[in-house]
Amino acid sequence: MSFLLQSIFNGLLAGCIYALFAMGLTLIYGVLNFVNFAHGELIMWGAYFLYLFMGTPFGFPLPIALIPALFFTILLGIGMDRFAFKPIRQANRLTLLIAALGLSFLLRNGAQLFWGAELRTYGFEIKRGWRILNMSITINQMAIIITTLICIVIVYLLFHRSKLGKSMRAVSDNLELARVSGINTKKAIQFAWILSSALACVGGILLALDTNLQPGMGLINLVKAFAATLLGGVGNLWGALLGGIIIGLAENLGVLVISTGYKDAIAFGIMVILLLLRPPVLYGTQE
Amino acid sequence: MNVDLFLHLWIMILIYIIFAMSLNLEVGYTGLFNFGHVAFFGVGAYTSALLTLHQVPFELALVAALIVAGFSGFLLSIPSLKLRGDYFGIATLGFGEIIRMVFQNEVWLTKGPMGLPGIPKPVLFSYRFATLPQYLLLTIGFTILTFLVLRFVTRSPMGRVFKAIREDEVSTAALGKNIFHFKIKSFVIGSVFAGLAGTLWGHYTTFISPGDFTLLETILVLLIVVLGGKGTEWGPIWGAIVLIFFQESLRFLKLPAEWTRYLAPLQQMIFGSLLIFLMIYRPEGLIRGKGGR
Amino acid sequence: MKKIIYCLFILIGISLFLTPAPKAQDTYKVGAAIALSGSIAVYGEGFKKAIDLAAEEINGKGGMKGKKIEIVYEDNKSTPKDCVTAVRKLITVDKVPVIIGPAASSNFMATAPVAQESKVVMLSAQGAAPALTKAGEYIFRVFPSDVLQGKGISDLCLQLKYMEVPIMYVNNDWGLGLKNVFVENFKKAGGKVTDEIPYDEKKTDYRTELIRATKGNPKAVVNLTYIVEGSVMFKQAYEMGINTQWICGSAAKAPKLVELAGKTVEGIIGTYPVFSQETKEYQAFRALWTKKYGDAKIPIFGEYNYDMVILIGKAIEKGGYTSDGIRKALFEVAKGYRGVTGDKTFDQDRGVGSEYGVWTVKDGQIIDYKK
Repeated sequence: MSFLLQSIFNGLLAGCIYALFAMGLTLIYGVLNFVNFAHGELIMWGAYFLYLFMGTPFGFPLPIALIPALFFTILLGIGMDRFAFKPIRQANRLTLLIAALGLSFLLRNGAQLFWGAELRTYGFEIKRGWRILNMSITINQMAIIITTLICIVIVYLLFHRSKLGKSMRAVSDNLELARVSGINTKKAIQFAWILSSALACVGGILLALDTNLQPGMGLINLVKAFAATLLGGVGNLWGALLGGIIIGLAENLGVLVISTGYKDAIAFGIMVILLLLRPPVLYGTQE
Repeated sequence: MNVDLFLHLWIMILIYIIFAMSLNLEVGYTGLFNFGHVAFFGVGAYTSALLTLHQVPFELALVAALIVAGFSGFLLSIPSLKLRGDYFGIATLGFGEIIRMVFQNEVWLTKGPMGLPGIPKPVLFSYRFATLPQYLLLTIGFTILTFLVLRFVTRSPMGRVFKAIREDEVSTAALGKNIFHFKIKSFVIGSVFAGLAGTLWGHYTTFISPGDFTLLETILVLLIVVLGGKGTEWGPIWGAIVLIFFQESLRFLKLPAEWTRYLAPLQQMIFGSLLIFLMIYRPEGLIRGKGGR
Repeated sequence: MKKIIYCLFILIGISLFLTPAPKAQDTYKVGAAIALSGSIAVYGEGFKKAIDLAAEEINGKGGMKGKKIEIVYEDNKSTPKDCVTAVRKLITVDKVPVIIGPAASSNFMATAPVAQESKVVMLSAQGAAPALTKAGEYIFRVFPSDVLQGKGISDLCLQLKYMEVPIMYVNNDWGLGLKNVFVENFKKAGGKVTDEIPYDEKKTDYRTELIRATKGNPKAVVNLTYIVEGSVMFKQAYEMGINTQWICGSAAKAPKLVELAGKTVEGIIGTYPVFSQETKEYQAFRALWTKKYGDAKIPIFGEYNYDMVILIGKAIEKGGYTSDGIRKALFEVAKGYRGVTGDKTFDQDRGVGSEYGVWTVKDGQIIDYKK
C-alpha cells in the first residue's frame, strides 16, 4: 500500500466532509454575520438522529431513516435560531458568541445524557476496501465522495438559480437594503437555517460512517469548518469546498511529519494563522 | 455535619474566585474576550507541580509559576490583540486548545495523558499547609491578596484606561493612549493571577492532567464572570460562590451508582442553558456594573 | 444587597448539613472506586460482578467476626481526575479503611498518593504497570507486574521468528511501561524495534497510526491496546486491507473485544498472566460463578477481583477493621494463599508473581495458542 497516496486520499476524503461543514457554517455566517458556534452540535446531532432512527425501536434502513434525521436536524437548527439567537439578533457579536457557546455546551451534553460518552457505531458490516492504484478505498468512502459532490451541486443550484437563493444572497449583502427592497428577509433567513442544518446533518452522518459517533465530535469539527471558511472566504461556497479540502490534506499529510497527537492542532493552527494574517472580510457570495 | 466537605467546598470556591477575578480584569474591565484563559490556569498548575515534584521549594515554584503564566500571556497576546472582538475570542480559544495539546503530547515534560500524581503540599516559609483547614487558610490569604491587588489596579489610572478601552476604543486611542500596550498589560496581569489559581488548584487536588484544562473550564469561569456581573468587583465572588457550590455539592451527593453517569452531563446542560438565558435576559449578571467606576 | 447576604448565609448553612453524620457501623464497609461509566465501563461491569460474588461468598459464610461486608461503590468515570475524586470521597465521606482501587494503571497511579497520604489501604486487581505500588506501603496489587509480561511478549516474538517489529501502544502508564520492558528485552535478545508509535485512547480514527505502523509491510506488529481502542483499530486495519500478525498484551484478551470487533480480530495472538484452570480453587470459583450468573462469560480480570475481595475479608477478620490492621494482616493471610489465580503471596513491593501464557482468537473464541 502506498503510504503517501493513501494519506492523500484520506486527506481528500476528510476534506470533502469538512467542506460540507464549512458550507453550512458559511451560509449562516454570510446571511446573519455571526459564527454559529453550535454548528458542530448540529453536525453531531444529525449523526445521532440517524443512529436513533436506525436503532430500536424504529429499526429503519439507512435511506428511510435519513428522512426523519434530516427533518429533526432542520427542526433543531430552526429552533436554535428562534429561541437562542433571534432574541439577541441586535446585540453585539460577543453576546451572540457566548450564547452560541452555551448552546453548544447544552447540546453536547444533551447527547451525552442520552447516549453516554462512549463510542457508537452504525453497525454496518465491516468490509475490506477495494485496491485501487495501491490504495485501499472502502465503499463507505466512495459514498462520501459522491454524496459530497451531489450536495455541492444541489446547493449551488439552489443558491444561484432559485429565487430563495437570490433572496439569501441579497440578505447577506445588506440586510437593511434587502428588507427595504421588499425581499422577504425572514423567509430567506429561515431558508439559510434549513440549508445549513441539512448540510450539517449529511456531513455528520458521513463523518460518523467513516469514524463512528461520540458526543465530542461536534466541537473539533466546528473548528475545522471555521478554518475552512476562513480559507475560502466567508460566504463563498466554492471557497468552502476548497478550504475544506486544503485542511483535510494538510492534516493527513502533516502527520506524516509531525506527531500524530497534534493532528487536530493543525486545523487550529491554520485557523489562528489565517485570523492573524487575513482578518475576515465579508466577501459576499461572488466567486 | 460534614466538616471536610464544607472545607473542601470553600477551598474550591476561593480558588475559582481568584480564577474568575483574573478573567474579569480582561473581560469585564478591558472588554477583551479571552476564551483561552484556562491555558494560563494550566500553565501555572503544571509549572508549579513540575518544579515541586523535582524538589524545588514551593516559594520558588510559586513565583516561577506566576512568571511563566504571565510570560505566556504576554507571548500569546502580542499576535492576537491585533484582532477585533469575536475574532480575538476565537483565536484565544484556538490557543487555549493548542496549549492543552502541548500538555497532552509532550510526554517527556508533562507526562502527557498520564498526568502528574502526588503533587506535594505547599510549604511557605517552613509552614506546611497539609490539612484541609490549613489549606483553607492559605487560599483565603491568596484570595484576599488577589482581590486587593486587582482592586488597586482597576481603581488606578491604568484601570481607568482599561475601562475606557472597553467602552470606546477609538476615542481612547484618539486621546493619545497606546491601546495595544494597555491591552497587553491587562492580559498579562490576568494571566499571572490565572496562574496563581492554577497553582493553588494543582497543589490541592494533588493530581493534574491535560484533561483538566479544556474548553469546559473556560466556559465555567466565563459563566462565573458573566453570572456574577462582569466589570464589577464583587461579581466574580458571587458568581463563584453560586456556581462552584452547585458544582461541587453535586459531585459529592450520595446517589445510587446507576445515576452518576447522568449527573455530569445534566449539570453541564444547566450551565449551558444558564449562559444562553443570561445573554438573552440579563447580560449584566447578578450584580449590575455601575458605569464609570 | 441585603437579599444576597441573606442567601449567602443560607448557602453556608446548607453546606454544613449536606451529608448527615455517619451512622453506627453495622457492616464492614469496603470502598470500591470502579468504572461504572466511561471508556473502562466495559471492564467495570465485569469487575462489579466478580466483587459482588466474592462479597456474597464472605457473607454467606457468616461474614467476618459475625459482621457482614458491604461494598460501597463509587463511579470513577474512567478518567484519572474523577478517580481521584471518587477515592477522596470514599476516604473523607464514607471513611473506609480499605479501597478497591480503579482499573487502568494510569487511573490507579493517580489515586495512589491520595490513599497513601491518608493512610488508607488500596488494592489493584488489574494494574500491570511496574511502578504501580511505588506510592507507598498502603498500596497493594494482586495482579502481576508487566516486568514479566514485557519479557513474555519479547520471547513470543522471538519464538515465532519475528525479529523486526514495529510497536504500537496506548500512550499511558500501562502502555508506556510495558513498551519499555518489551523494547529492553527484545533488543537484548537481538531483536530490532523498527518504530514506536504511541496513540491516544478514546479516538475514533486510528488510520494515521495504522498507516505508519504498517509502512514497509512488516510481518508482525506488536500492539499494546485496550478493548475499545483495539476494536476500532482492528476494524479499520481490516478495511484498509492490512495483513499482518498482530501481537497483543493481556488487556486485549477479552470476550468483549471479540464481540465488538468480530471477524477482524481472528488470528491475533497475545500474552497473559497464566493460572491453571484445573485447580480445585478455580473449579470452585467457576461453580459459584455459574450458580449466580449462569452462562455469562467470566470477564477479564474477574478472577483477580474475586481473589482480592476474599483476601480483604480475611485481612479484616485477622487484623481488625483499621487501615494498619488490614495492611499488616494482608501479608499474613496472603502468604502461601492459593487463590483462583494461583499463589497470592505478596513480595516486598506488595506485588505478586506469575507465569505467562499465550492466547489467540480462533473462530470467534479466545483460546490458548498452540504453535
